[in-house]
Amino acid sequence: MSLFDKFAKLAEARAALGAEGPSAIATPIESVESASRGRIAGREVILAGTNNYLGLTFDPDVIAAGREALERLGSGTTGSRMANGSYAGHRALEAELAAAFGWPSAIVFSTGYQANLGTLSGLAGDGDYLLVDADSHASIYDGCRLSRAQTVVFRHNDPDNLDRRLSRLGDRASNALVVVEGLYSMLGDQPPLEEFVEVKKRHGAWLVVDEAHSFGVFGERGLGLGEAAGLLDDIDFVVGTFSKSLAGIGGFCVSRHPELELLRLASRPYIFTASPSPAVIASTRVALDKVLQGQALRERLHRNIRRLYEGAEAMGYRLGSEQPGPVAALILPDRATALAHWQGLLEAGVYANLMIPPATPAGLNLLRISMSAAHSDEDVDRILAALQDMAAAMPSQAPSSAVSA
Amino acid sequence: MNTSTRNRVDDAIGKALSIALPELEQPNRDAALTSDMGLDSVQIMNLVMEIEDELDISIPVDLLSETRTLNELAARLVALIDEDGA
Repeated sequence: MSLFDKFAKLAEARAALGAEGPSAIATPIESVESASRGRIAGREVILAGTNNYLGLTFDPDVIAAGREALERLGSGTTGSRMANGSYAGHRALEAELAAAFGWPSAIVFSTGYQANLGTLSGLAGDGDYLLVDADSHASIYDGCRLSRAQTVVFRHNDPDNLDRRLSRLGDRASNALVVVEGLYSMLGDQPPLEEFVEVKKRHGAWLVVDEAHSFGVFGERGLGLGEAAGLLDDIDFVVGTFSKSLAGIGGFCVSRHPELELLRLASRPYIFTASPSPAVIASTRVALDKVLQGQALRERLHRNIRRLYEGAEAMGYRLGSEQPGPVAALILPDRATALAHWQGLLEAGVYANLMIPPATPAGLNLLRISMSAAHSDEDVDRILAALQDMAAAMPSQAPSSAVSA
Repeated sequence: MNTSTRNRVDDAIGKALSIALPELEQPNRDAALTSDMGLDSVQIMNLVMEIEDELDISIPVDLLSETRTLNELAARLVALIDEDGA
């Protein structure tokens, strides 16, 4: 027996991928030259497998703010907010996030993962309940594990299933925190948020919406699905990340409850980690302003999304969501077809994501294409042409034959 | 142990298995769900949600992490139901 014996199945899975073609896990992006262009194995590719939804990673103002802060304040904070790492920029960004929502409090975390970890484990304790959607991100599950609350899973996007679980809790539902996401990144689908809000209000529970993939994308000011649905007054906490539309690294929780401030004294993933670097904070502040003013970017993004969805559907591909969003997940019949699609697109100069079980819901094999406002019409044309070639090159495994899978 | 509750739990697990994991014929209920039966976390989650619907109960995630086999799960569910007076 050795420590590494438990990884045998993972090693087998990785070896199998390698035998069938280049490993999607290990493929390095040699360089990134713009928000939409990179270089893999010496060839230029369209980046369609990132979460750079508004394309702000190469925005000159975002970069200039980060550079200025790096030179003025140094490369790192060297400590936690509690001890020695709370700079004026951290508080300014928190104030700007809170103001964007019109809420009294926001807390910045060092990563998006820690935002969920720190929010859920800090808010829910012994005697409380966490009710989480079955398709929740790993950071939500890990936040539940770190809390001392009793965690129950409800069926994905199923308000009736949540309703039954809250009914069983009875009066204890006032100590229950319901967790949903504004957009689920595996299938690119969205929750029936209005129905979830109705259920949580009826039972007196609390609601967290993780807008990691929907912030910047939905809503007039880009605040996410809650804003787009006109439900911000009914949501208690919004969690988000800097690493998608905000083009940095970090995360946040913002709340209409001023008591959120107490979380700074109770959240281990907030307390026991180094605070984000000055450069990250400075560039994120500029990116946040551009998100809030980013109606033109969102229009551009949604135009690209519509073209990709309509094009893929016309070819017979089955998509993971009927509601077009920044992630288009093509459901393919088996792993070999998914791998062939991923490889075929890469050879055509398009970098997308291969997602296979057990990382995917319901054992689905997915090719995931992420759209960006930075993609040009020609980029979308090239992505669609690559998909068309894949569909035509594999008539025996044509996507249309997979739609019943 | 409450025999009628145990029978109800065993029946519910049987029905849930046939819905969530129809490919498993006559599964050994003393086999480890992960290492022996080879179930992944998604399959176990689907099985548990079917059991929850059959029994009209909510099963805490912690209970799953402390359970290796279907028979162990059944025993824990009996205790949970008796405790809640369900």
